[in-house]
Amino acid sequence: MMGLFEIAIILLSASMIASAIIAIWFKDLLASIIALAVMSLLLSLYFYILQAPDVAIAEAGVGACLTTAILIITIRSTERMEEGEK
Amino acid sequence: MNENGDRMSIIVQTIASILFPLALIFSFYVIMHGHLTPGGGFQGGAIGASAVALLIVAFGAKYVEGKMEEENLSIFESLGGLVFVIVSILGFFLAATFLTNFLVGEPLFGIIPAWGEAPLNSGGVLPILNLAVGMKVIGGLASVVLILAIASKEGEK
Amino acid sequence: MKKATAIAFIIFSLFLFFSAYEMRSFGNPPSEMDDRIIGKYNSTANKWEYGAVNETGANNAVTSVVFDYRGYDTLGEATVLFTAIAGVMMLFRREKK
Repeated sequence: MMGLFEIAIILLSASMIASAIIAIWFKDLLASIIALAVMSLLLSLYFYILQAPDVAIAEAGVGACLTTAILIITIRSTERMEEGEK
Repeated sequence: MNENGDRMSIIVQTIASILFPLALIFSFYVIMHGHLTPGGGFQGGAIGASAVALLIVAFGAKYVEGKMEEENLSIFESLGGLVFVIVSILGFFLAATFLTNFLVGEPLFGIIPAWGEAPLNSGGVLPILNLAVGMKVIGGLASVVLILAIASKEGEK
Repeated sequence: MKKATAIAFIIFSLFLFFSAYEMRSFGNPPSEMDDRIIGKYNSTANKWEYGAVNETGANNAVTSVVFDYRGYDTLGEATVLFTAIAGVMMLFRREKK
């Protein structure tokens, strides 16, 4: 018998793995940065479910906002597509 | 890019100028209530740095650099580190060892809360250390985002 | 694509409302893990039996661990942050006008 807790954990794990695979699979680097941000947001929800609100706030602030901003600034001054794709 | 150069549209600018003070107030709330509610110096500092990143996205790096210079942010960060170390050394001189919580039990700052109560002036030196770490993280992460944005802007030309 | 975005937004908002409803009231320890760190409390007598609250005066046990019991770790983390930012500033330093 699965409760709400287990269902939420299984759904979050599956979505996190899916978004991580998507982040590797995309050739457009902007899209894969967005997929990484989605993974960070889901990870912060995971931390909240596991009774760690401190880590959840830190993960949402650093992982989903600041890392995304820094990576987007970085690909603005380099190339957007991965090598070999024009 | 439109004719304004680095800026986004007027809608984004208005929303950002409304959201920026709210985000700063929320960041200050998380920092100052670090010993009562979830959060603390690092988390509140990350929220404040996200507010500065929102401002950079909406208004462009040049404008933000004109408003808050990166040297001021760097001085802010170093001030936070200095406060942390000074409070730690005060613990060495006024009480037993380095980083001792020497204010706990004092009538002004060291109130021990009862169950279900949350007075702001509890916790001894913990709010001061939270404030120091928050200043450090806000200054540091905001200056990193600002410097990277300016450098990528210069690299475009 | 727009439908997927809307569905994700609705699910995320529902989660946020649910978690805000489930949040502990102001003044109690923030999570159930804090109760385990703090130790047993005697809520009828309105007094903590033992643990972090009596020693540090902070209601949030995680903060009392991070800044008091393990303060050296926080000092080291602050040093790491300072060094990383000094490295970035050294890499992207501009000429003085």
